[in-house]
Amino acid sequence: MIATPEISWIAIAPDLLLALGAAVVLLVDVQWKPPARVLGWVVGVTLALAIGFAVLQWFQAHDAMVAGDSTTRLAFSGLIVMDGFAVFARLALLAATALGVMAGWRLVVSLGRRGAEALALILLATAGFSLMVASNNLIMLFLGLEVGSIALYVLAGLSRERPESDEAAIKYFLLGSFASAMFVYGVALIYAGTRQFEILEIRGFLGNFIVTDPAVIYIGIGLVIAGLGFKVSAAPFHAWAPDVYQGAPAGLVGYMAAVAKVAGFAAIARVLMTAVGDLDLTWLPVVAGISALSMLLGSVLALVQGDLRRLLAYSGVAHAGFIMTGVVGGAFDAILVYLAVYAIQLVGSFAVVAVVNGPDGAGSAITDYRGLSRRSPVLAASFTVLLLGMGGLPLTSGFIAKFGVFTEAWAGGYQWLVIVAVVASVIAFAFYIRVIVVMYMDESIDGVELSLGPARWVLAVAVGTTIVWGIFPTSLLELAADALPL
Amino acid sequence: MLTALIVLPVAAAIVVALVPSKRREIHLPLGIALSAIPLALAGYLFWVFQPDAAYQQVERAIWYEPWGISWYIGVDGISLPMVILTALLVPISLAASTSITNRTKEFVVYTLFLEAGLIGAFLAVDLFLFFVFFEAILIPMYFIIGIWGGERRIYAAVKFFIYTAFGSALMLAAIIALAASHTAEFGFTSFALTDLVNVDLTTGAERWLFAAFAIAFAIKVPLFPFHTWLPDAHVEAPTAGSVLLAAVLLKLGTYGLLRFNLGLFPDASVDAVPIMATLAVIGIIYGAVVAIVQPDLKKLVAYSSVSHLGFIVLGTFALTSGGLQGAVIQNLNHGLTTGALFLLVGMLYDRRHTKRIADFGGLQKVMPVLAGFFLFMAFASIGLPGLNGFVGEFLVLIGSFPTLPGFVIAAATGVVLAAIYLLWAYERVFTGLPDKEENSILTDLSPREIGLLAPLAALIVVIGLYPGFLLDRITPSTEAVLDHIVDQTDFVIPEPGRVDDVLVAGDSS
Repeated sequence: MIATPEISWIAIAPDLLLALGAAVVLLVDVQWKPPARVLGWVVGVTLALAIGFAVLQWFQAHDAMVAGDSTTRLAFSGLIVMDGFAVFARLALLAATALGVMAGWRLVVSLGRRGAEALALILLATAGFSLMVASNNLIMLFLGLEVGSIALYVLAGLSRERPESDEAAIKYFLLGSFASAMFVYGVALIYAGTRQFEILEIRGFLGNFIVTDPAVIYIGIGLVIAGLGFKVSAAPFHAWAPDVYQGAPAGLVGYMAAVAKVAGFAAIARVLMTAVGDLDLTWLPVVAGISALSMLLGSVLALVQGDLRRLLAYSGVAHAGFIMTGVVGGAFDAILVYLAVYAIQLVGSFAVVAVVNGPDGAGSAITDYRGLSRRSPVLAASFTVLLLGMGGLPLTSGFIAKFGVFTEAWAGGYQWLVIVAVVASVIAFAFYIRVIVVMYMDESIDGVELSLGPARWVLAVAVGTTIVWGIFPTSLLELAADALPL
Repeated sequence: MLTALIVLPVAAAIVVALVPSKRREIHLPLGIALSAIPLALAGYLFWVFQPDAAYQQVERAIWYEPWGISWYIGVDGISLPMVILTALLVPISLAASTSITNRTKEFVVYTLFLEAGLIGAFLAVDLFLFFVFFEAILIPMYFIIGIWGGERRIYAAVKFFIYTAFGSALMLAAIIALAASHTAEFGFTSFALTDLVNVDLTTGAERWLFAAFAIAFAIKVPLFPFHTWLPDAHVEAPTAGSVLLAAVLLKLGTYGLLRFNLGLFPDASVDAVPIMATLAVIGIIYGAVVAIVQPDLKKLVAYSSVSHLGFIVLGTFALTSGGLQGAVIQNLNHGLTTGALFLLVGMLYDRRHTKRIADFGGLQKVMPVLAGFFLFMAFASIGLPGLNGFVGEFLVLIGSFPTLPGFVIAAATGVVLAAIYLLWAYERVFTGLPDKEENSILTDLSPREIGLLAPLAALIVVIGLYPGFLLDRITPSTEAVLDHIVDQTDFVIPEPGRVDDVLVAGDSS
């Protein structure tokens, strides 16, 4: 007889709530056809509860860590792990989701009856990714990845009327499925080499045995890197990003990009640094190469973009490279800090795009931002702070994040990568600055009065954290330092 | 107290920012009044400063323990003159900006942020903190050039930003490397300059790090061949921007070379003397020669900066008491005279709306006071005995002669060339008859404008006649730098005047 696994509800409470919330949104919408505001409340309550449970998880995980007790942090016979790393990443996902809903609220309202679908898909995507960051099992991780990714494919094509949106969805779906397939194949090969799906077991296996013929595992690792590299839009797996960022509804791109990055990198960190951490001599050079390529390619290509969303897409490629320097440095906390900081700035930046170009506008030519400082000083000033933050100027959280990953990579012996990274940071400044030039120094264009709507809260949070964490980083850094994986 | 020096301008900026945009007329006066508070504080700092080598008025608060970064500030004889200069020039350049009518509030706010960043950079003893301020300065300056500049302002602003950001990126990598070495050697991470000087580096590592810092600062100074951003930035910047850029921002470069390159990498510094001195002398002569042929008065002053800052770098890398003293005091002098020259060019431009030398002529007759001030500042810049430029350049040349005789002989031509470009410019602009009709109707300086120039002129005379009150405060710190180098390396400071020994010593290095 198979023993029934012990159920630890707290370990999956946030994910369960999110899925439940998605169902409630759809059912309420079908039954009563309420105004969007009501659905908004449902989503808000769901997210608040999920965050509450995640905070609870944080304290439990922390207590368990202090007690040195590893079993209470594993649930469902080791499928789910409730360690500080997972909970921190989950909190970042939930924060990005809450901000993303506010940034995309205009879009939800304008979609009419389909607004409920958007909200349900957002909750489902977050549920999937939230499960993914807490997976201790590669199959589980794949399930979370797929739940999240498929919801994102649909979100990308939400404005069916616009061909660009359809194109973005199809492109994202086809390439994304391909990447998922590679990931599964990689998982299968790792299983073939180690007879294990569980991340901690794989680590134990590789730590205790010398694999005589590790080629299978190596190929598996390579495929996993490629599959997850696609999700985080690291070069050379980034080709989808500009088109999707440009075609998908403006109000949602920030959310989509942010959660995919957070979950993808959490998975990369867990799989590479924990599961196959003992084989780092084989994958470190590969990841370092991807990192360098992403940083340089992303920064250089962003320079020549005429569309702000494509610019942000390529800058996202560069950021994937920056975060990978943290993977190379082997620092879980530096990666988490970078992810939290960048996710919030990303959602904030796209909130600006959604205000300026409309929640469902196609494309966002940089020329649309001419003289924005006079049309809306608040918007321009916020965007400036976010751009400088993403550029990594000191006194912004972006600098703290970059400094953290760079220091770790340097200490890890990858000095050349850090030098590439600082050079790429300078190139990145050039295009962020270009946007600021357009906003502040070009003549204003006439345009409709811009009203911020709920995006004002997104900007308040994004700008506030960028500056406060930039000047007083201690709280964030200490929190991340406690967020250790099991 | 030092924290207050940094926080007060920020607070002033916030106060100005909170004044409603409609009350345009009070932004500028309010900014001037509020920036007088840090000036008063800086004056008090000068008063209580003890002639002693160590950092004074030290304030230290842990910022983030695991990274070893702290809010660690202090002042010594090398940074003191720069703090005073910054605090003095900000109110003056604000008061000189009455011609800015467009987005005055933002202008005042950026200038005050700039002041905070500059003072912070000069006071920082923690390298991380220094880097933060060093970078933070770029943003307000970038906006000041880019919004209120001339026709090619955006090009100039972006060029300025990218150049400097590139240099500081290299420096960031070097700072990380240095802190990592400190962790490896001492077991705890620290970015404090006072800790990092103890790090033992291999010769190769030290040279690489020296190069990274040196390039960052050489771009800022700017040393030939990194100077190409400067003329663009200066010509396009509004008057206040040019004044602060030339008088204070560039000094971050010379200050950094003296403070960080000499302090952290003594061996590499000694080895790099020939390279740095060569670049300095090339800068001196090249800047001066290019200045001679400039058709634009502002560009002329800009290139003269390249030349004058070469003297400071030469003095720094002469590694003698006189050279270092001269470098520090010349940091201040150049700020005063060039700041004043840019103010004068700005005043001319406000009246005539051109900076082309050919458009002027005979202005002496119509505006004798302006002409008088210009001539005075030109003399100060050339180094007329009795004025401040003489003290600084003389110290640099005399001080550098024992170690770098050949370079000094070449550099001395820079003094002659300075006389040529400044006096020739004076001749073309001010002497003769006002043969152009537009020039004959110009009004002379107003009492307000005289009030702006008078304090600078007074300081120029005081330093020129009695430099002792400054040198007393500077010398202990420069001697400490020198002692550190002598301790750490086999470098021997030659006796002044004994050239033969020096030539031998010079050969062996």
